[in-house]
Amino acid sequence: MIQRLAWLLMVALCAALPATAQEREGPLRIEITEGVIEPLPFAIPDFVGDDTTAADWGARISRVVASDLTGTGLFREIPASAHIGRITSFSSPVQFTDWTPINAQALIVGAVSVDDAGKLIVRFRLYDVFAGQELGQGLQLVGTTDGWRRIAHKVADQVYSRLTGEAPYFDSRVAFVSETGPKDARQKRLAIMDYDGANVSYLTDNSSIVLAPRFSPSGDRVLYTSYESGFPRIYVLDVATAGRRVLESNDGTMSFAPRFAPDGRTIVYSLTQGGNTDLYTMDIGTGQAQRLTTAPSIETAPSYSPDGSRIVFESDRSGTPQLYIMPAGGGEAQRISFGQGRYGTPVWSPRGDLIAFTKQSKGRFHIGVMRTDGSEERLLTASFLDEGPTWAPNGRVIMFTRETQGAQGRASLYSVDITGRNLKQVPTDTGASDPSWSPLQK
Amino acid sequence: MTSAAAEAGGAVNTGQIISGAGHAGLIAWAVFGGTFNADPLPFEVTEVTAISAEEYAALTAPQSRPEAVANIDTPEAPEAGDAPTLSSEADSAPAQAEPEATPQTEPDAVPEAVAPVPEPEIAETPPEPPAPQEDVAVLAPEISARPQAREAPRVAPEPMAPPEPDVRIDEVERQESAPDPQAETRQPDEEATAPEEATTEIVTEAEKAEQAAPSRSLRPRSRPAAPAPSEDAPTQTAQPEQPAAPQTDDSAVADALAEALGQAGATGTSGTPQGPPLTAGEKDGLRVAVQRCWNVGSLSSDALRTTVVVAVSLNRDGTLSGDVRQLSAQGGSGDAARQAFEAARRAILRCGAGGFDLPPEKYDHWREIEMSFNPESMRIK
Amino acid sequence: MTYLSKTFILVAGLTLSACSQPDRFGDGNTTDLNAAGAGGVVAGSASDPTSPLYFQQAVGDRVLFAVDQSTLSPTAMATLDGQARWLMTNVEYNGIIEGHADEQGTREYNLALGARRANAVSEYLIGKGVSPARLKVISYGKERPLEICSEESCYAKNRRAVTVISAVPTS
Repeated sequence: MIQRLAWLLMVALCAALPATAQEREGPLRIEITEGVIEPLPFAIPDFVGDDTTAADWGARISRVVASDLTGTGLFREIPASAHIGRITSFSSPVQFTDWTPINAQALIVGAVSVDDAGKLIVRFRLYDVFAGQELGQGLQLVGTTDGWRRIAHKVADQVYSRLTGEAPYFDSRVAFVSETGPKDARQKRLAIMDYDGANVSYLTDNSSIVLAPRFSPSGDRVLYTSYESGFPRIYVLDVATAGRRVLESNDGTMSFAPRFAPDGRTIVYSLTQGGNTDLYTMDIGTGQAQRLTTAPSIETAPSYSPDGSRIVFESDRSGTPQLYIMPAGGGEAQRISFGQGRYGTPVWSPRGDLIAFTKQSKGRFHIGVMRTDGSEERLLTASFLDEGPTWAPNGRVIMFTRETQGAQGRASLYSVDITGRNLKQVPTDTGASDPSWSPLQK
Repeated sequence: MTSAAAEAGGAVNTGQIISGAGHAGLIAWAVFGGTFNADPLPFEVTEVTAISAEEYAALTAPQSRPEAVANIDTPEAPEAGDAPTLSSEADSAPAQAEPEATPQTEPDAVPEAVAPVPEPEIAETPPEPPAPQEDVAVLAPEISARPQAREAPRVAPEPMAPPEPDVRIDEVERQESAPDPQAETRQPDEEATAPEEATTEIVTEAEKAEQAAPSRSLRPRSRPAAPAPSEDAPTQTAQPEQPAAPQTDDSAVADALAEALGQAGATGTSGTPQGPPLTAGEKDGLRVAVQRCWNVGSLSSDALRTTVVVAVSLNRDGTLSGDVRQLSAQGGSGDAARQAFEAARRAILRCGAGGFDLPPEKYDHWREIEMSFNPESMRIK
Repeated sequence: MTYLSKTFILVAGLTLSACSQPDRFGDGNTTDLNAAGAGGVVAGSASDPTSPLYFQQAVGDRVLFAVDQSTLSPTAMATLDGQARWLMTNVEYNGIIEGHADEQGTREYNLALGARRANAVSEYLIGKGVSPARLKVISYGKERPLEICSEESCYAKNRRAVTVISAVPTS
């Protein structure tokens, strides 16, 4: 009762104030700060075709599009069995009321035809079902039937990009080392495949150890390390022809861990002489090399920043392997890793904001990311042996090598979203290691 | 050196031809791609050229060991004439009623709900005793044994136990509607649904490995105050329209109470002279109703740094009147703002499809709503 | 051409599991002591103190290292003393020192670490009087483990530097 009186008193006071809230006009304002994080449900009815051949292509292409999207972990496909509406014609208006009840928030509608020259013509549109409107413009892609998967990846890239705001990445390839045979006599071949594991082809035979292919900025060449000459040397290989040449190096040295600079002409790599491993750059056109580090410690696994101005690398100058950044021309290096454990194989994100790395701590290996000043370190994976991260061209996904434990240990490729979600194996027929993600194909 | 190069060149001759054709195609595509942006037609046309796996295998398979010093001559791009012919003109636009063109001013633009939803649905506070699924959530042994965030495909403000296997996932938790013998009109049978399994944060593999020792416990369910359950009969809308005039007493009391309790402080700047403003609980109900449909899971990192403010107008029954409009965006690039807005719009459209549950007598207070979507706290989950 | 390519190919009658890597040298143009083959050379048997097999088995062709280390233990030095003596006596042979690491480390770091180990051996041998011109070093990092289990017992044997000898070109 006393409380009540107190309230009334306050009420009276408030009412007496001249400018109280309730006299102001204006909309109700609310702030939403908590939401959900879950895959966005979408529907992609099989792309329609004028005839059975075209319809068959339509079905295959839509399956690849769906697989690309769901493979990101950001989307969930609503299976055709749940669809209420049917898309029978590309040109009829979409009945959104067919799609809202099944909670399809995005709808992809497409059509395929085959022209007189046998080319596939694929058209598609993307809709925001609940807003009842098309997102972006419809697109048409034309290509050979051989390249149908690329067409599908391009469709998926457009959809992904439009819905998420991320840059596309499905139409890309991965160079890697294909591995066969037992652990103590492993045979390695350089191979290349689509990002999703399709269309594998081999770039070298298995007669010598090959390591760590690295794409050029335009995706036309690959640097890698091979024991072809008996000693580790760096080779540059033309992806289209599989022709290759060894880069110059002196007898009695080993060179490895190469990576292209953004100019596509300079490379940075490790060169070992007299047991000491340092970083060098080389103009692969002229063969002109320049030494960047001179410490007696191990300096390896260098990677350029996307603007080419800096290099992140691994060094054990402090006693254990840690990550450092220095100017691209050499000079004083700043240590950026300070956590517990050993850090290696840093790779600069194509967006420039993050560095992916391998971390060894308490007997486990991790793939992690940190900001370029070393802050906000975040480990994304944990296993017996994870190493060698490579970035998707849009900087959103990381692929890496995971090796299983024991005498039967086998290497395979895994990918993970930079949020740590969606960890999954990339399908390969053989063992696989050392992935290098290409830029987006042109 | 030169002869070695020539040899190497000869060895891959057919390969070069094939690849040359491929290159020509790519170049043609690139050239064509230049028109990509300028093209005002409904379709943008691009050409995808790729050599086949067979061609690729043919030119790479029989790998003979080259001289270690063999030079690679990057094959020159052949004349554009080799390129496959392109259909350069844009595809004629299909005669399609542009969806945007249809004016959507009235509520019917908002698709009707999944099924007629008879009850108001603030899922967080079911007035009935807890649904069986709730029991599961409480009793599920994995939760009591392991208080850390679990792995689940969905990350939500509040954890949710996995639904029973045969229950359809829905945004709104429903009881299976039993036909009511008393009712004159049978309600449509409603399938029981359950909220999707959810965890409160992303659990990376690395974190799972660390979970030997409990490091954090589940956030307690924040229980929004129950919305005034009294007048849920929308037929009485006439009453609040009576301008309660500067008869300030009621509103002043409520407002002052809210103020004093510190509940409405932050957001309590709105209000019209007509009728009492929304209570903090009612606002909370609206906020919760929107946030459970606000899915930021497919947004780019950039969009997750963007706060958008949108405006909506509501009809008296709580349904949307007209479009969701973007008022401002802050933090991200233009593209990011677009995706952030679209996610906000989806949240409002989906969870508002059946109308928001707001007290009709206070319609003047919620006729216009500005919602700010700030993903800051969702970024690092 | 390099001297390696003219190296006399020595065929030993024994195969030692220790060195059964099929492509130790990619070209196959250098001595592989372990290549199984016909035509055993009597003079090459392990009891012949001038034979590579004697070097491998009696002298000891390898030394082991502690985790992440490239410093030589007293045991290792003793082995290397024997290697140095053998090499000083048998000047018709040159040595290639292969450095290896266990699988616990990144590929690049292990390559560099293996090179450190091989170099430590090389420097020790040179210090004992072996001509630098007769020695080469190479690292295989973790690419060629000897033992394949994922336990310390195997790792200990994989952290090694192996001196592989080959006959000096005759001309």
